[in-house]
Amino acid sequence: MIWPFTGDAAVWLALYVLVFALHAAFVGYVVIGTAYAFVQALRRAEDPTAERIRDRLPFMLGCAITAGVAPLLFLQLLYQRRFYTANLLLGPRWGAVVPALIAGFYALYLAKAASRLSWRRLALGGGLLCFLFVAWSWTELHLLMRDEPAWRELYAAGTRIYADAGVAPRLVLWLGAMAALFAAIAVWWERGAARRPIAAIALAGLAVATIGAGWLAARGAAAPDAAHGWLHLAIAATAVTIGAWIWTWLRPDGAGASVVAGATAAALLSGAVVREAPRLALLEAPRPAALEAGGLPVFLATLVLGALAIAYVARLIRAAR
Amino acid sequence: MGAPIPYYPVNEFGPLMKGLVIGGVGILHVFLAQFAIGGGMLLYHFERVAQRGAGDEADTEARDARTFVDGYFKVLVLVSFVVGALTGVAMWFTTIQVGARTIGLMLDEFHWLWATEWVWFSIEIVAGYAFYRFGPRLPGPARLRLLGLYAIAAWMSLFWINGILSWQLTPGRWAEGGGVWAGFFNPSFWPSLLFRTAVAATLASLVACLVINTMELDRARRAVLIRRAARFAAPVAVMPLLALWFFAVLPEDSRSWLLGGSMAMTMFVGVAAGASLLIGGYVIVGILARRLYINAATAMLLLVLAFGATAAGEFVREGARKPFTVRGVLYSTSLTPAEVGRLRVRGATTDDPYPLRGEARYPTPELVRGAKVHRALCDACHTMHGANALVELTRTWTDDQLRLNVAKLQRTKGFMPPFAGNAEDVEALVQLLRWEAAGAPAAVPARAPDPAVLAQIQRWLDEVGTSPAGGAP
Repeated sequence: MIWPFTGDAAVWLALYVLVFALHAAFVGYVVIGTAYAFVQALRRAEDPTAERIRDRLPFMLGCAITAGVAPLLFLQLLYQRRFYTANLLLGPRWGAVVPALIAGFYALYLAKAASRLSWRRLALGGGLLCFLFVAWSWTELHLLMRDEPAWRELYAAGTRIYADAGVAPRLVLWLGAMAALFAAIAVWWERGAARRPIAAIALAGLAVATIGAGWLAARGAAAPDAAHGWLHLAIAATAVTIGAWIWTWLRPDGAGASVVAGATAAALLSGAVVREAPRLALLEAPRPAALEAGGLPVFLATLVLGALAIAYVARLIRAAR
Repeated sequence: MGAPIPYYPVNEFGPLMKGLVIGGVGILHVFLAQFAIGGGMLLYHFERVAQRGAGDEADTEARDARTFVDGYFKVLVLVSFVVGALTGVAMWFTTIQVGARTIGLMLDEFHWLWATEWVWFSIEIVAGYAFYRFGPRLPGPARLRLLGLYAIAAWMSLFWINGILSWQLTPGRWAEGGGVWAGFFNPSFWPSLLFRTAVAATLASLVACLVINTMELDRARRAVLIRRAARFAAPVAVMPLLALWFFAVLPEDSRSWLLGGSMAMTMFVGVAAGASLLIGGYVIVGILARRLYINAATAMLLLVLAFGATAAGEFVREGARKPFTVRGVLYSTSLTPAEVGRLRVRGATTDDPYPLRGEARYPTPELVRGAKVHRALCDACHTMHGANALVELTRTWTDDQLRLNVAKLQRTKGFMPPFAGNAEDVEALVQLLRWEAAGAPAAVPARAPDPAVLAQIQRWLDEVGTSPAGGAP
């Protein structure tokens, strides 16, 4: 087996990385798509791309939320004590991500349906704030899970904000990466010159992500030695992605978008492993009850059935698109 | 020595007891999710009606059914399954707040089945959105298949989650080492699944009646649609039988709490049964038998009753598990029966790594200990001064009565878990309750517990042992 997918928790970890990457792709589309549509609404621009994005945002948020449930499940198997402790320490402030997502959801519907520009601006701006709140909360939770020495003090103080210096650079890195993920999806719904702004967003996002990564490195964050292979793969895939976006800029209807899709998927998956690497040292020994739990064949069979069902839905609606 | 007991930080919700917090989120989630499930089935049925009369201009029912499917109702279904999904996530987060070990145990035992449920939910979301977005432009067979897929996926979601939830109350042969399927197809699986399916259909029917009243049709055409929608509420007739089946498979002690042993729980049973009977009576006699018209106000009133029945029903389901969150395995204090025995010796808070919030409020070390005992053993179900307040529940008891009742907790109330601490913990909790009842004075002289009192408490603890009162394993 390839590191880190070894040992008793290998299947959970592999599934966690896969579904996390899927979730991240949808989240990237939603956050940056909302920001793009918001900026275009502020500029009063007649932009068919922004219109298409607005139209798809509620569905993509539905996908992001649904895909986000699966990593939560595997996270609870891999780091149960840490995940629950961080949840409890952040308390209601963490729980507020749910109403924020509900508010964001309906804001996107409002933005899609509103004919008045002022309503559209309000809805998109409000939705964006909701999603940024969720991103900030997740980043804090992720870091707090790792920081066991801080738990007692944070609890005693009764504060719900984990003001770690690592939060800002991680957010910068993620916002940049989300722009690249957004672009890798959005480019398929554009043709010709309309792909150029998407390419520009991707390149700008990758630049921001690089700044975020550099900021994290300057603060001493480093991938463990065992993760260097994945890190090199992520860097190489990102380099290919940059080249493919430049190619798309130069020849919008060329094969650049296909290369972008493959390279972005590789960068995302290897990046997800690198992200996980520092936390793997904290992996909890699998509980016997969890290791012995049955039902894997049923899940795998249902997964195949689910993939077929979703493909069937795509086929059914092809005529109407 | 067993495995170390996992300690989690404890949050308090002011005057709200935690059961109310999770109950509030849970009721909203169950109501919306069950409506979304029934809504899928009802949309499929109306689409069939619409397609049966397709091409026949004289068939107004078919045209109206099509208008109904493409109109408000599918939007309502969409709204409910979106908020239903998010409140499902909220249920996870809230359960972590209330009993992290419980949700952890459920995940450990059933994660592959939970993942299976997630796949069905994903199909539900994709099929639902596809219909919402492309339905009006699709040919008849594609519309029907999409709605059929949505309805099946939504119900399958219920199928899987129902097995996990019903396992908490009736683990059945799983408790004897029977494995995941013995736990999933536990004694209350089928009655619970069928009951929830009937509820889902009834909710969909009532919402449909409400929505049909908003359609711009004359009264006669609305009446035709309403009668068709009302048929979906017919399963309400078998709900009493399903409820009896559910009661029959409950553990004897749980059944006794619901049927008079605990007045609060009995009242919830009464509310659920009364509201369901009112809805059922109106649907069967008024709409199905006498073919009465149901206007928007009546539909709304019946929906409010249905919400009340759902709320009471969920409280009954939660309450029936007491003193466990997973019967025979984990108490409501998030401790296993074996751990109770260990803590009787070691003390309830000796290994708790978390300090008290606002420790300076407590003037003596004994009161600090008492507050930690309260946090560890009482806080899951009680508050100090708010809902289910310990101070008020114990105010009229004498000190010795209080000591006895805490030490022999599972005998004081059969749905309480055995006290998971030593004699010093009992005495510290008693002193804390007295101090809180006295208005929490700032100055209290520090004192050492009376050895004779501690010896008496220890005798009571030894007499009562660590087994639950209700005869659970």
